[in-house]
Amino acid sequence: MRQHLPALLFLLPLFAAISMPLVCLKHRGWSRPIAVTVLSIMSVLSIINLISIIQDGEVRYAFSGWGPLLGIEWVADVLASVILVALSLLGLMTLIFAGSTAPKNLGGRIVHFYTLILLLVAALTGIVFAGDLFNLFVFLEVAALSSYALVGVAGGPALFAAFRYLVLGTLGASLYLLGVSYFYAASGTLNMVDMAERLPHLLTSKAVVGGLLFMFIGLGIKMALVPFHAWLPDAYTHAPESVSPILASLVTKVALLGWVRIIFWVLGAKVIVYDIPVLLLVGILGTLAAVIGAVLALKQQNIKMMFAYGGISHIGIILIGVSQGNQTGFVGGIFYLLNDAFMQATLFFWAGIAMCHYGVQTIADMKRVKQAPWVTGALVIAALGMVGLPPTGGFFGKWYIMLGALEANNYLAVGAVLLSTLLTLAYFVRLFEGIFFPEPTQSDMRHHDIPFSLKLSLGVTSTAIMILGLLSDPIVRLLLAQALPPGL
Amino acid sequence: MADALAAVFQRPNFLTFVIIFLWGFYIMVTRYNLVKKLVGLYLVQTSVIFFLVSISAKKGATAPVLLSATDPVQAFQYANPLPHVLTLTAIVVGVATLGVALALCAAIYRRYGSLDEEDILKRLE
Repeated sequence: MRQHLPALLFLLPLFAAISMPLVCLKHRGWSRPIAVTVLSIMSVLSIINLISIIQDGEVRYAFSGWGPLLGIEWVADVLASVILVALSLLGLMTLIFAGSTAPKNLGGRIVHFYTLILLLVAALTGIVFAGDLFNLFVFLEVAALSSYALVGVAGGPALFAAFRYLVLGTLGASLYLLGVSYFYAASGTLNMVDMAERLPHLLTSKAVVGGLLFMFIGLGIKMALVPFHAWLPDAYTHAPESVSPILASLVTKVALLGWVRIIFWVLGAKVIVYDIPVLLLVGILGTLAAVIGAVLALKQQNIKMMFAYGGISHIGIILIGVSQGNQTGFVGGIFYLLNDAFMQATLFFWAGIAMCHYGVQTIADMKRVKQAPWVTGALVIAALGMVGLPPTGGFFGKWYIMLGALEANNYLAVGAVLLSTLLTLAYFVRLFEGIFFPEPTQSDMRHHDIPFSLKLSLGVTSTAIMILGLLSDPIVRLLLAQALPPGL
Repeated sequence: MADALAAVFQRPNFLTFVIIFLWGFYIMVTRYNLVKKLVGLYLVQTSVIFFLVSISAKKGATAPVLLSATDPVQAFQYANPLPHVLTLTAIVVGVATLGVALALCAAIYRRYGSLDEEDILKRLE
């Protein structure tokens, strides 16, 4: 049973997604309960999977019994299982949240909406587990296709944002595929473990260098690294309230995880290509992203836009962490990735509630949420996490990243993390200024009772930020003991 | 210089790939019409697929079905099937992307009555 859990975890949402249009043909009301049930089962299974992987070691799943070199191999190690728990829980929370915020004009197509969310979760599971480079490409594209459709699902300005996202995303995927075919042409294999054995002899080959560059640009577009981030803010801002949390919290982070797999598990941590350490390059781009993203966030008036740029700067901080080339920095980066997934989900849940129930779009409207203290409270917790203050997980993530950077004597990276923290503080101060010290204008209060489902999802994710902070020590110990890449 | 040129022309398939890829990219960047952008995008995808097929080509080789059940297998007699399989998957992915993209284009046209990027951006503001 334990051997088959990774495959089950993927097949569950996939089959649910495929069969949903048929099952819900006559009863479209069934679609949400089915989706919530499926993802609840998946969350429980993912926790069981994590416990079993921690106790009994990693599982390598060979599909249909074909061995790793001939068939498709999936690797369920501690890193993948930890991320998967966060992924399934956040997917579940998004579905609960989507109950009353799903686009109203969908009508019968609501069934397809839930189908797409399940398909997205299935594809992200595939990316997390994938043990070969081409498999990673296929799941990246499945995830991307469902995100394009989900962004554009409500119509309006979202359509054009979705189109831009599609053009850039597909270009990224083509570049990634080109990189994979370069690697394949040079090494004759696609399996990550096998390729890791063959690549050290091929590092002077121009095909490997070119392939690495194309893969990096391709995945950089997918994870919205700074020079390639243009698609993200528009897409996340115009996407329906119920969709942006899952996109912001998971899609870019899982693409980043794919890149981490490639540099650490395929190339090896200490790899030097033509005298240039790959990690140094990643670190420089991360530094740029952390600062530029935060500066751009500070300039925004629209709150969703601000949160989206905040997410871009956090991708940079995670990259700074993993690229320090020591264990502390790597673990800090991965721990921050987990935290960032929950923080982005909380922020976009918050933005969704503020938009749907108080009509808040820009900082000028923020004063309207003052009447609901718990909504403001959730934002305070998310802000503490984003800035990185002690009781939250964000603090410990940044702490380990900075320790790692100090260990590597990389003061530029320390400075970038500190600067981005200050800028994050600055844009959250702007938000709270809007709530507590509003400019005197006439306000049209419109207040509806907020449904329990919204309170639940926002409450769970903001509690998770605190819990991750309280549990940071065991999680970091676990990652240090079992989730480190070989040779770090 | 002459050596470099000779090296380029020795592999006409790589040259073709580069030309198609850059052509597609050029169309994507310079055209304002959304459908034309898609044509460029599709050219980029096709060029990558072309590259994958071309690296698996082998002179005098045949499809990877055993020619004889008794003789020992000679690798030079058979073409590598894996890139073709990858190509099939990549084509399916490309077609699905194109489908979603055209659906988005249709929805954009219904809403804005235009497929010109500048027109749409003007209306968005």
